[in-house]
Amino acid sequence: MKPPGTEEAAGALRSSVARQFGRSLHIRTLDTGSCAACEQEIRLLTAPHYDLHRLGFFFTPAPRHADLLMVTGPMIRAFDIAARKTYEAMPGPKLVVATGACALGGVYQPDAFTHGTVGETLPVDVWIPGCPPSPLALLQGLLVAVDRLAEKARDLSFMQDGGLR
Amino acid sequence: MPGWFLRGLRRGVVTTRYPARPDASAAVLPTPPAFRPEALTRELADRLCLICPSWALTRSGDVLIFDAGACTACGRCREAAPEAVTASGEFELAVTDPAHLVKRIPLLGEDAS
Repeated sequence: MKPPGTEEAAGALRSSVARQFGRSLHIRTLDTGSCAACEQEIRLLTAPHYDLHRLGFFFTPAPRHADLLMVTGPMIRAFDIAARKTYEAMPGPKLVVATGACALGGVYQPDAFTHGTVGETLPVDVWIPGCPPSPLALLQGLLVAVDRLAEKARDLSFMQDGGLR
Repeated sequence: MPGWFLRGLRRGVVTTRYPARPDASAAVLPTPPAFRPEALTRELADRLCLICPSWALTRSGDVLIFDAGACTACGRCREAAPEAVTASGEFELAVTDPAHLVKRIPLLGEDAS
């Protein structure tokens, strides 16, 4: 049971995110042990076919200039301090997007070397599944992060002939 | 002169109109599976759980728990049981809470009640 006022507060937060990030957003990517397939797809976002810049998203090499941290990989434990430092170096308000099946807890189980999911170390705002997520899926995830698209997967049932989709 | 330049002049703008309009390449993307509950028995579900390389499938009683976030859309479950599993065709799966990606698929138990 949520405390009263939670929905309103969440709504206000979402609208402030949309207001502040809606038209221009700088992205820093962070590889925490991924196989680089996700990086390949992220790189494709700037190719002419997807042309991320038309939507106001830009990649930046420095976390201090970034509004959004795009994290790939299963968050290996050796990367804990670096990931936390990167997150702390970003000015607020900031968003974290976990990208790919590794980051979401598939592929690698937690063990001595990896957390298995990005959520263990960083506060994640948006989760983008896929192995790797296609540039279209990444675009949708970014637009969900800045509240320009509504998330869709909650209402999917992944059942056929169920009449529930 | 590279061929792509002439092709670009002939065809015009190549940039996708997504998200305003659907993108043609979305149809050929690998997508997570969709299950047919009336063809899923407990045995088949257990077999699929063993096949899945990324721990996206688990069985709990008469329910198959499918974590679309962990799924890598490798297609092994589809290959193993084409009568019960097909491609969902969904690629817009970004969520703000990972729990939204965990789906419960009812099974056809032997003692279906």
